[in-house]
Amino acid sequence: MSVLDQLNGSGIYLICGGIVLIIAVICVIFLVRAWRAGKALGMDTVKMKRAITSSATFSLLPSVGILLGVIALSGSLGIPWPWLRLSVIGALHYETQVASAAAEQVGIALSPEAMTTQAFATIALLMSVCIMWGMVLATLFNRKYAKKLQGKNPDKKTGVGFGDMAMIAMFIGMVSAYLGSYFGGFVSGNGLFTFSGDWSPLLVAAVAALAMAGFTWLAEKKHWDWLDNFSIAGSMLLGMLSALLVGH
Amino acid sequence: MNQNTNQKMNPEKYEAYLKATHRLGRAVSLLTLAMLLGAPFLIGGLLGAMPDLGAAARGFLSVGLVWMVSSIVEYLVYTPMLGAGGSYLAFITGNLINMKIPCAMNAREMVDAKAGTPENEVISTLSIATSSLVTIVVLAVGVALMIPLRPVLESPTLQPAFANVVPALFGAMAYKYFRKDVRLAAVPLLCMSLLFMFVPSLTSSTSFMIIPSGALAIGLSWLKYRKLQKEEQK
Repeated sequence: MSVLDQLNGSGIYLICGGIVLIIAVICVIFLVRAWRAGKALGMDTVKMKRAITSSATFSLLPSVGILLGVIALSGSLGIPWPWLRLSVIGALHYETQVASAAAEQVGIALSPEAMTTQAFATIALLMSVCIMWGMVLATLFNRKYAKKLQGKNPDKKTGVGFGDMAMIAMFIGMVSAYLGSYFGGFVSGNGLFTFSGDWSPLLVAAVAALAMAGFTWLAEKKHWDWLDNFSIAGSMLLGMLSALLVGH
Repeated sequence: MNQNTNQKMNPEKYEAYLKATHRLGRAVSLLTLAMLLGAPFLIGGLLGAMPDLGAAARGFLSVGLVWMVSSIVEYLVYTPMLGAGGSYLAFITGNLINMKIPCAMNAREMVDAKAGTPENEVISTLSIATSSLVTIVVLAVGVALMIPLRPVLESPTLQPAFANVVPALFGAMAYKYFRKDVRLAAVPLLCMSLLFMFVPSLTSSTSFMIIPSGALAIGLSWLKYRKLQKEEQK
């Protein structure tokens, strides 16, 4: 039995599906409580229904985009784990990046051929640990934070602070490190400055970037706002497809 | 709506609701944390291979710290918009920036609920719970449809595509972030490219190289910020 067969085993479906089911129940509990609280507060039920239906329709397309992310990750991590990770806390860009970093630490690349059962368990653990901080902070500080915010308008913004710029810079640094490694791999991967290394990551990254540029152009210039929901997953899939053309 | 709500509102009842929401929120967050951290060990037991804790710790030091900072910023920025119930749920179910935040903002605007009010608390929770349920259902249906497609997804022809999932991600992200500040992006990209060209063995430690690369980008960004501030003062 291959590692992917094991990662797609019924036991793993049961574990992941069970957790997803519990999260769904939690959502239903919050939904019912909020509905009852709204009624007790005298809120118009027609407007509450409108909020629910608009949220449901609003979420449909992005959810399909997230599903494409499950497909993108299923080749190396199996189907059930990406399903769980993208249903609970996760986000595609985060999951892929952390999975890749974890694979690197266990000495493999994030690919179907290289995957081992221990590498998978380690990757799964790191994916969970790295993303849990919002939930940890909410558990520890939400009540105090809510009290502190009482009377303040959270929508009021006071100009662009360094925090926003630092976040963008941090992501620019992260992306630069990975793209730099692809350039280095091609130029010196088979000996210093031999230009004979693997160029497929460069091609894939370039195609994905071009696809992203296309999606962004259509969303911004043609006002196809709905396309934003698919831009990351769609660009990734197009980039990945380009690897098939060169067979690497 | 606000006028109508205020007439019938019982502040004590609302306070009791908020208190219970925090209690419930903390309990379900702890339960989710336990499930998420327990699942890799449970799966490891099933596969007969436990996680390598040393490798996980090294991975956390390289890439986890970046995401930890990102999570703290997200928490501080988004919690006030989402209210108590909404924020607990949003941090459990994820996909904040790409879905939950715009979804809750859209619902709030539709019913004209003002931030920080009881209406916002209720509407945000309704919106995020609904959005999460829709995602869960869409993914569950999609996964069920994917199972028969497994032989296709695992065929050797498609393996080069799945082996390149990470370059595909960083290509897409490069366009998204580099266009925000092309001049700033050029410096770390050039430095990292040259570094990897001269020391190709670093490729196996790419995730660690995020730290110097990120520090360089943040340093440059700080210089730009100071310059902008000085220009504004003039």
